[in-house]
Amino acid sequence: MGRPGARPVVVLADDDDAITSNLAPFLERAGLTVHVASDGAAVLELVERLDPDGCVLDVLMPRVDGREVLRRLRADGHWLPVVLLTQVGGSTERAIALDEGADDYLNKPFDPHELLARLRAVLRRARPGRRPLSASPVLRSGSLRVDRISRRAWVGDAELVLTPKAMLLLDYLLTHPDELMTRDRLLNVLWGFEFPVGTRAVDNRIAELRRALGDDPVRPQWIATVPGQGYRFVASVDEVR
Amino acid sequence: MTGLVSGALPRLLAPVLCGTALGVVMQVTEPQARVYAIVSPALLAGMAGLLGTVVLGAVALVRRRAAVGTAAAVRDAVAEAAEDRRRFLLRLDHELKNPLTAIRAGLANVEQAGAMAAAGTSASAALASVSAQANRITRLLGDLRKLADLETREIEAAPVDLPSLLHEVGEAVGAIPSASERVIRVNVPQAPWPLPLIEGDRDLLFIALQNLVANAVKFSAPGDTVEVRASEDGSWLMLEVADTGAGIPEDEIGEVWHELARGRAARSLPGTGVGLALVRVVVVRHGGQVAIRSRDGQGTVVSIRLPVPGRAGTAPAVARSRHRRDPLGDMPV
Repeated sequence: MGRPGARPVVVLADDDDAITSNLAPFLERAGLTVHVASDGAAVLELVERLDPDGCVLDVLMPRVDGREVLRRLRADGHWLPVVLLTQVGGSTERAIALDEGADDYLNKPFDPHELLARLRAVLRRARPGRRPLSASPVLRSGSLRVDRISRRAWVGDAELVLTPKAMLLLDYLLTHPDELMTRDRLLNVLWGFEFPVGTRAVDNRIAELRRALGDDPVRPQWIATVPGQGYRFVASVDEVR
Repeated sequence: MTGLVSGALPRLLAPVLCGTALGVVMQVTEPQARVYAIVSPALLAGMAGLLGTVVLGAVALVRRRAAVGTAAAVRDAVAEAAEDRRRFLLRLDHELKNPLTAIRAGLANVEQAGAMAAAGTSASAALASVSAQANRITRLLGDLRKLADLETREIEAAPVDLPSLLHEVGEAVGAIPSASERVIRVNVPQAPWPLPLIEGDRDLLFIALQNLVANAVKFSAPGDTVEVRASEDGSWLMLEVADTGAGIPEDEIGEVWHELARGRAARSLPGTGVGLALVRVVVVRHGGQVAIRSRDGQGTVVSIRLPVPGRAGTAPAVARSRHRRDPLGDMPV
């Protein structure tokens, strides 16, 4: 965060006043300083003026929509973490959200506590003045290298053979290192919505990833199991320039 | 068989009837031709037969064309209705998600401010209740969105091993607290050969099967039996989930596959009424079929048919010497 010790400054952008008027005080009371914007142009203006620590962006907004705002922010070299409020159903849309460099995304109607937790996580992860992992096209973690644009991955010189879902999971883990990933959250990443049952599906994908990576679950180099809770990407991740 | 007989009969009778009719016409209009007609019954019958076949053939062709046209029109109408319904679900989702987000944020606000949160007061009970209802609508909305999404999204086509999938389903269902009070049996054939691999999305198939078995547990009582049976006929893989539970009343059975269908017996139980609709979508997206039979008070059996890759639509294989299971599927070797 840019201001050590101070309350993080966040821009909350949604054109629905019923949402912002309820969310802003909630986030304020949780320790953030919130500035509300009701359209995309206002977001761009606020970011220029305030240099905030983070931003919550609704996708559907008048004048300049959330996606376009994000594109313009990144094009102008603003690397502040962004949580996109979006209806990402199909995996293509989620892939687009990642390609655009959103740090995280949430489907409406979300649990406000979940938004707060995600926002805190992206603020913690933020690297002031540097491009966030989520906006970096190529990432490296030890001998693992992932080209996020072409969706290919290598360990050393060997290219990994992964299903699209496993690739999506790897991408998400890699861009959210050291964060506890519950099975429900990972299911949400894979499907774009929650499945109340069958979290075993996540375990299968993680097993597929571990096999491909040659990662030992007992002494994991990359993906650690958090007993009773989920998974955590434990290795450090850097962008490849 | 009936169709064959009723189709053949007019064809056999037609030449005779037409011949007689032609004979009468010639007799009335052309008296001179009468002799000719008498001396040449073979020619008469031939002409009549030709006439009859042409007329009947033309009638049949017109009818068939009309039927094909009607079937295509019905298909189009069905597809259009499905698309309309899907668009409606997405519109509903879109219109409800913002107010719901606001409601949940408002509730979080109130809880956080502690304005009414003094435990044990009627206000805190009301708050908890409103919160629970908001979550319920959220779940319902999420389920409807899933349905709309699953109808069109691209699904994976990887080899799926049913026995291991069923094993996992059994484990997941076993974790439901009331499951220990049911007798749950999973029957997967090993002889004369194991089940062939099918092609599809393992996660979705898991969810469909888990839904069915969990339903069987939910709508049965302690001591009831739940059976999961798998079989194959070479072209199709068949799965049955049966229970000796409450059954479904006859007047409700036609509704069960529709979204939001909640039977009278289900009203007191948690759920959004989307489970079976989800099962149907998953199975249909895999090229399969679903069916349900139930007797009120006796139990229910849901049957699923899934195509075996490269086999469905062909005659069941009965004369193969040896089968092998490998990653390429159940190929004759």
